[in-house]
Amino acid sequence: MKKIIFILTITVVILSSSCKKDLNQVPISSETTSTFYQQPNDFIKAVNATYNSLRGYPDRLLFLSEVRSDNVYPTNDVGRDPDPINNFSLGIAPNVYVEEAWSANFVGVFRANTVLDQITKNGSFIGSPALATRLKAEARFLRAFFYLDLVKYFGKVPIIDHPVSALESNTIGRSSVSDVYNFIIADLQFAIANLPVNFSGPFPNYTASDVGRATKYAAEAILADVYMTRSGPTYGIEGPGLGLSEWNLALPLLQDIISSGLFVFNPNVYSFPVPATGIFSYSNQSPTANKEVIFDIMFLTGQNPILGTTFPWQLVPQAYFNGFPTGNPSLGGALGTPSVSTNLLNSYSTSPLDARKAPFLHTAPYNNLGALDLHAFYRKYLDTTKVPVSRFDWGINFIAVRYTDILMRKAECILHGAPGTQGDVDGIVNQVRARASQPAIANVTLAQLFDERRKEFAGEGSRWFDLERSGNLVTIMNAWRTVEDATLQKMSPIVPNFIIYPVPQSQLDAAPGLYIQNPGY
Amino acid sequence: MRLNVLLKKNLAIFLFFFGFFLSLQLSAQNPLTVTGKITDETGKGLGGVTISVRGTNNKTISDDGNYRIAGVKSNDVLVFSFVGYVEQVIPVKNQSVINVSLDISQKILSDVVVIGYGTQKKKGVTGSVSSFDARKLDERPVQRIDQALVGQLAGVTVKQTTGIPGKAFSVQIRGSGSISGGNEPLYVIDGFPLSVNSSNVSNGSFSTGNPLDNINPNDIESIEVLKDASAAAIYGSRASNGVVLITTKRGQAGKARINVNAYVGYNQAAKKLEMMNGDQWIAQAIEVINAQYLVAYPTASASDDYATRLARVGSLNANYIPDPRWTQPGHPGLRYIDWQDAIERKGMLQNYEVSASGGTEAVRYFLSGNYANQDGFVVGLNYKAYSMRANVEINASDKLKFGLNIAPTFSITQDPGIDGKDAIFHQALSLAPVQEDTMGLFPNTGKNFQYIWSSTTNSPMGKLTYNIGTTKRYRTLGSLYGDYQIIKGLNFRTSVNLDNTDNIGTTYVPYITTGISNILTNTNPRIFTGSNNLLASTSGTYRSYRRQTFVNENTLTYNRVIRKDHSINLLAGYSYNFDRFDQSAISSNGGYTSAVIQTLNAAAAVTGNTTSTKSVLISYFSRLLYGYKDKYFLSASIRRDGSSRFGINNQFGTFPSASLKWIVTEENFMNAIPVISDLKLRVSWGVNGNNNLPNDYASLATLGSYGYVLGTPAAVIGQAPNVLANPDLEWEKSKTYDIGLDFGVLKNRITGSFDYYNKLNTDLLLNVQVPAVTGFGSGLANIGSVRNIGEELELTSRNMVGKFQWSTTVNVTHNTNKIEALAPGQNQIIIPNGFTVSDAILRVGYPINSIYVLKVLGLLTAKDITDNMPRYNGTTEQPGDFKFQDINGDGVITEADKQIVGHPNPDWTYGITNTFRYKDFDLSCLVQGQAGGSIYSQLGRAISRPGQGRSDNHPASFVNRWYSESNPGEGRFGKAYSTYNNPITAATDWLYSSDYIRVRNITLGYNLSHLFQKKFVQNARVYFTLENFFGHDKYTNGLNPEAANTTVSTNGSYPEAGDYGAMPLAKSLIFGLNITF
Repeated sequence: MKKIIFILTITVVILSSSCKKDLNQVPISSETTSTFYQQPNDFIKAVNATYNSLRGYPDRLLFLSEVRSDNVYPTNDVGRDPDPINNFSLGIAPNVYVEEAWSANFVGVFRANTVLDQITKNGSFIGSPALATRLKAEARFLRAFFYLDLVKYFGKVPIIDHPVSALESNTIGRSSVSDVYNFIIADLQFAIANLPVNFSGPFPNYTASDVGRATKYAAEAILADVYMTRSGPTYGIEGPGLGLSEWNLALPLLQDIISSGLFVFNPNVYSFPVPATGIFSYSNQSPTANKEVIFDIMFLTGQNPILGTTFPWQLVPQAYFNGFPTGNPSLGGALGTPSVSTNLLNSYSTSPLDARKAPFLHTAPYNNLGALDLHAFYRKYLDTTKVPVSRFDWGINFIAVRYTDILMRKAECILHGAPGTQGDVDGIVNQVRARASQPAIANVTLAQLFDERRKEFAGEGSRWFDLERSGNLVTIMNAWRTVEDATLQKMSPIVPNFIIYPVPQSQLDAAPGLYIQNPGY
Repeated sequence: MRLNVLLKKNLAIFLFFFGFFLSLQLSAQNPLTVTGKITDETGKGLGGVTISVRGTNNKTISDDGNYRIAGVKSNDVLVFSFVGYVEQVIPVKNQSVINVSLDISQKILSDVVVIGYGTQKKKGVTGSVSSFDARKLDERPVQRIDQALVGQLAGVTVKQTTGIPGKAFSVQIRGSGSISGGNEPLYVIDGFPLSVNSSNVSNGSFSTGNPLDNINPNDIESIEVLKDASAAAIYGSRASNGVVLITTKRGQAGKARINVNAYVGYNQAAKKLEMMNGDQWIAQAIEVINAQYLVAYPTASASDDYATRLARVGSLNANYIPDPRWTQPGHPGLRYIDWQDAIERKGMLQNYEVSASGGTEAVRYFLSGNYANQDGFVVGLNYKAYSMRANVEINASDKLKFGLNIAPTFSITQDPGIDGKDAIFHQALSLAPVQEDTMGLFPNTGKNFQYIWSSTTNSPMGKLTYNIGTTKRYRTLGSLYGDYQIIKGLNFRTSVNLDNTDNIGTTYVPYITTGISNILTNTNPRIFTGSNNLLASTSGTYRSYRRQTFVNENTLTYNRVIRKDHSINLLAGYSYNFDRFDQSAISSNGGYTSAVIQTLNAAAAVTGNTTSTKSVLISYFSRLLYGYKDKYFLSASIRRDGSSRFGINNQFGTFPSASLKWIVTEENFMNAIPVISDLKLRVSWGVNGNNNLPNDYASLATLGSYGYVLGTPAAVIGQAPNVLANPDLEWEKSKTYDIGLDFGVLKNRITGSFDYYNKLNTDLLLNVQVPAVTGFGSGLANIGSVRNIGEELELTSRNMVGKFQWSTTVNVTHNTNKIEALAPGQNQIIIPNGFTVSDAILRVGYPINSIYVLKVLGLLTAKDITDNMPRYNGTTEQPGDFKFQDINGDGVITEADKQIVGHPNPDWTYGITNTFRYKDFDLSCLVQGQAGGSIYSQLGRAISRPGQGRSDNHPASFVNRWYSESNPGEGRFGKAYSTYNNPITAATDWLYSSDYIRVRNITLGYNLSHLFQKKFVQNARVYFTLENFFGHDKYTNGLNPEAANTTVSTNGSYPEAGDYGAMPLAKSLIFGLNITF
């Protein structure tokens, strides 16, 4: 009898111990972080997913830089999400665009960190150490890109250099802006040292199928932006400007891009519709053909799931599409009737006519709910023959780093005392003016340079950051508000605290006490 | 006689107050010997009845009805008990002859009840257990077990969410404790725990199967529902929603018994929603068309005739020009159609079962075969089920026992897609009741054009006729077990169980019921023009799944009575359980190449995939049942469950419970209160779990697809984690306290039980906000809590005994549900909605999924407009539109003015059964209902939204709408032509009370046994049943207040199911015959 009990006991013990291993089930039909990252291709896919986090970048520039600046003044629409951004409302911490800027960039940071972490742990699966280094450089470039975006919008942010759990995330507060910059600079320096220069191989360098990935010059451009941004004034806040005078650090990077010979100033005069070889042409999309492009966020229409973009219509009033040929009913719903400001409209010379005005701005009245709407809006990226079936699926790339910008930044650095001559500056600015059918000017000042930038880069989302770097953001914005907002009086006076945005409400809620709200909100 | 009873009652109260003194006095008297005769309900002597003196070991057994018991004191109480009969308790009070008539129990045939991993004497059950008398399943035709449970048990709410035959009901025990983890109980059939199904939470249907599918109700012997934590705790991590134990019939040693059970009948719709008829629809269409005409052509006049309008508009535009035939006498060329009548019918029901049982001491068997065929009351609906069962038990030796249960079943459901948004029934309600006569019931179908004043909907009759939706389910449940007695009292039992379901669902939609065919624009996709491919719009799908549940259980039980007074039952066990789910889906792509072949080999192309998941559960459990003097009972159990579904850090959880019971009437002092014949007190506490995560791998960092564009350009694949891994993820826990009272008074003429429970579910599986630096906005975590507090009363009263018997059983449940906490600092979650802006909320302090909408105060008047009454969407509302309550007083109606106006679960549920017996007749009637809940009707969006337009039909009460300032109607509906409502807002105009009362069942039976010789026929009964024939509900613009068929929430973490066009429930009339040979 005792024997039987003994045998039974043994059986149960053996059964239970052998079955316990069964509790560690792996998903049958999906990969997990513990099964993925074991093929060289897995790591490339992981880097691709990090690029995917760039997809919201153009829209973000429009809503948080363009709309915030003196370029846009929505006049006749109520309650849309960008209005509080434009009006300098205090309660914008829960605003969707503010929320998106924080979360989407940190999703990108997380994906970059996941790649870097997995290369450290499982890098041997990649096989080629050179490829591993390239992928690391891409991930670090992207991480720096996301962080620079974060600093520009929020100032201090948490430094996350590895994937963190929910628990750990609650222990990492915001770092000082200068620490964040150091983190960014280290990433970019690694990227510059290790990224390919072009797309002509051989593997593991980029081939034609890699067009769109970050190159050494893209990294140099971003690093130049870092130096220039933090050379801007502090305005007495913990924002992106640190008052460092690092123009001479930025200049060699810009110069290296220019002297690479890979990029060419497109001399075609702007016109509407955009000519096939134009900078913003739907048929001039390849970054290798469009020599203006140093770094593109790439989009393609007609894919499933959607890989197109929304930015071309984000600042086009929805009512404008109502008069459109049938077949695109889903287009309704662009954001009300955002208009460019009268101030911007009037900044373009009429005599001689600035060649940029017509292709950049739609000024003809359009039918808005039965009435004619006279407010002008951006049409820089709009091609009425390329309206997609879904409004989320426009098929045009966004030029994140543009050669004209590199040139004008060079001029800016020189005007700030970096090596170079007034002749270099005038040459650059007049080259841009000539393309716009504008007469040449001499002894270009910083103020003239920024005016030219405004007209050249209108609708591209650089205005807010330009104002900030110029040191005149508060004065220019308030002067503009006094005139433009005289009738409606919906805007609040602009104070330095408004240079950066509030920490999103969701973040304050998710970890109470961890982040302290930016002053002024 | 009555007076006598009354006096006796008063005496009882008297005794109660002076009990001690009197009892001391009486106990001094001399012992008596009591004799008497015990008879059954027919007056025959009843042998084998136990007669005992309560509180002593003095007992005897009746012989052929006569008994004699000595040593009885005058103040003693005699207890007469016999299996299957109601216990009788009679005070002696100096009587020396006591004759007793015992009644067949209304409750249960056995005084032994099934508990988890074993059985127990009912007396000793310490937890809260409700038992269902499965004999009723023989006497009443039901198609599913869950159907039989409706209205029967306190604390068990059974909702019939659809009228489609063969579909599962939703069962909830003691409220909803979980927000996202599902609230369906664990089902255990003959000791085999089936996999818990949680897939009903999003749209209310069990798309991946229900544990009770295909189970033949006629095979069921008994059902016990373990409601409190202590009773259910032995099932640990799956028990927090309660446990339903189902026992199937088995054979008894003896002569073979053949039972034939057959019924036929018909079913039809239990309710019709009156929609506007042709004339009423025409009147509103004209009203809307005129309004639209005047807006588009401000210089025109509403009195313009057809020709004038045609000239002005330039083409026959149905938005501006009414059909001229509408106003002609007899409306020539048009046909008025009541679409509900058109698609409904009387559907035939039939069921035949033959079972055989019997055996010897060595081998006992129960075999059955069942065929059921039910035509739905909507054309095209049918359910057929074939089921077989074999239960065999073998005594291999004195010590060794084997058994095998096997139940292969097969069912076929035909449903072309009736319930849900844009499904056939919804369209039958919505579609215009006026159509071209030449098209019959088939507008916009085949070569028929759309009637241009109607909508583009294809005829519901056409879809019912030509569309095909078939679900074939083959399920086999099998259990093999062995039981070995190691020493006396110590048994080892092992079992191997497999539940395998193969389900194949196919759909086929031919081109003839798709597309718009408009005679005006000369588009007819269904007419061959020489170049078009008609078959391009034919489509088909093939989905299959296989669900397998394997369980191996091994238990040791030790049963012993020590020194007479101490009974001990010890259990220790180990179980291993896995669930595997494999599914495949193939669908046609780009149409078909054949108009005849429906399988996908004729598809132009196909797309498809397969996926699988698996989970493992390993458990250790132990329980002690202890009884002292059959008076005091204690039960304590502990279970340890390890599950692969949980985070690596929390794979194992422990679930303890304890409960006590005191049989007060076993105490001597209770003899002084003879009016109380039975009194038991129970208290229990326990912790249970809910392991229903959204999927089997929710704690792991799975990868998602995040593509990008590179190169020439081309799409490239990107992959990154799509879930924030949570290695700490574990079960939801529920902690329940229960206090219960079982009682019987007036010689057990009235018996019942009352329970109070307080159940707190904590560590809910919720998506909580996390800092975005993790790469995610939220992650699944164990956080938040929900409390259910309730009272349950079950009462049975034998109102009349003797020749004419009448008894009443009542159960009443009251439950309050409240969210106690969400994530820290979080007060509410507004549930996102796929159709309108949100209409439900999770808010701390309120019930789960409280209805959160704008409150309609009435209709706006011109004066309201001039008074600047707050309006929705700025200023676009006009007189005759809804006036909403501006709850935040900001002068404008926005989302911020929403308020909680109700909750979906009822506060009260009840069931009342009256049973009458006279000679060979029996009659029973079950009335069941609920009160206190609300339904937020998504169907309202389809048939009664403001500004709905001219073509879709409205409920008939829409004729009482607002017409003008001077004729504002009854206030429920605003004006027919309204333009403000974009987007559609959620307001109380679609809110209805879900209260209802239904006569679920009336059965009249007649016992034919006496017509046959007892030798051949042991029992024979014929019966008529009216099922669900009468009822009343307050869902005035819907059909089933319990309906759930459409996913409303767009976030799976906060499921909300709604009614978007449910068909009504069925009512049926059935004739049945039951013979036992």
